[in-house]
Amino acid sequence: MDQLVTDLKSRIIETLKLQDITPGQIDENAPLFGSGLGLDSIDALELVVMLEKHYGIVIKDIEEGRPAFASVHALAEFIRAKQPTK
Amino acid sequence: MSNIAVVATSSVTPADVSRYQFGSRFGRMDPVCQLGLTAVEALGVKFGSRADIGVIVATNAGSLTTDVQYWRTRNEPGGVSPSLFIYTLPSSVTGEIAIRHGLTGPNLCLLGGCDQVLGEAAEWLRHGEATGCVCVECDVVATDAGELAGVPVVARAWAAFLQRGGGGIPLTENDRDLRSLCARVRA
Repeated sequence: MDQLVTDLKSRIIETLKLQDITPGQIDENAPLFGSGLGLDSIDALELVVMLEKHYGIVIKDIEEGRPAFASVHALAEFIRAKQPTK
Repeated sequence: MSNIAVVATSSVTPADVSRYQFGSRFGRMDPVCQLGLTAVEALGVKFGSRADIGVIVATNAGSLTTDVQYWRTRNEPGGVSPSLFIYTLPSSVTGEIAIRHGLTGPNLCLLGGCDQVLGEAAEWLRHGEATGCVCVECDVVATDAGELAGVPVVARAWAAFLQRGGGGIPLTENDRDLRSLCARVRA
């Protein structure tokens, strides 16, 4: 599996303190919000902070964040686009 | 107060938290919410998503432990954890209880009003604002927060479910706080 996707799953679990969920249980193509992992707006803010802390990426507004947070796979693609070397 | 019944009571410490399953979002909650939810879970009552059941939480320390954690991390790169921020509101435990059990009746958070919980709940029930009330007293003060604020370290919660009419032990005029009520029910 894509290493960045694997890393992101672990970081999401750690950052959001998700209990009883393993990286293997997260579908990288499932929606992060609403259905799927069922995250909420506070989680979105946590992920924004996590992106800045761990990947040095700043999400400027909701228009940029919405597609990036569509799924783990979308988030990985977003990080790659912002960090071409990763 | 004779028409108000104490349906169930509970008394919990952090050691009781692991006895229950709360789902994946429990980990993000602060210790006050975790212990408050545990106390309600320990009541063993199935509320069944009711709009006529209220929630009252009383706390002396409020969100002190989370406030201190927030203050200590305020200058970290990337800023303070957003989820930590929401738990600097002492009333968040009231909301977490209401969300978990689908209770959309009135809710109230009393800071330092531990001897008023039962009286407030009785008023609600007597005036028909609710037919049942989940009452919680919850205090968590971690070691560093206690040292900083000069207050005793504690982690304890009590809960009771009161109902208008129905079966249970009658609530009396002498019942003021949950600690005493729980002790009386146990005896």
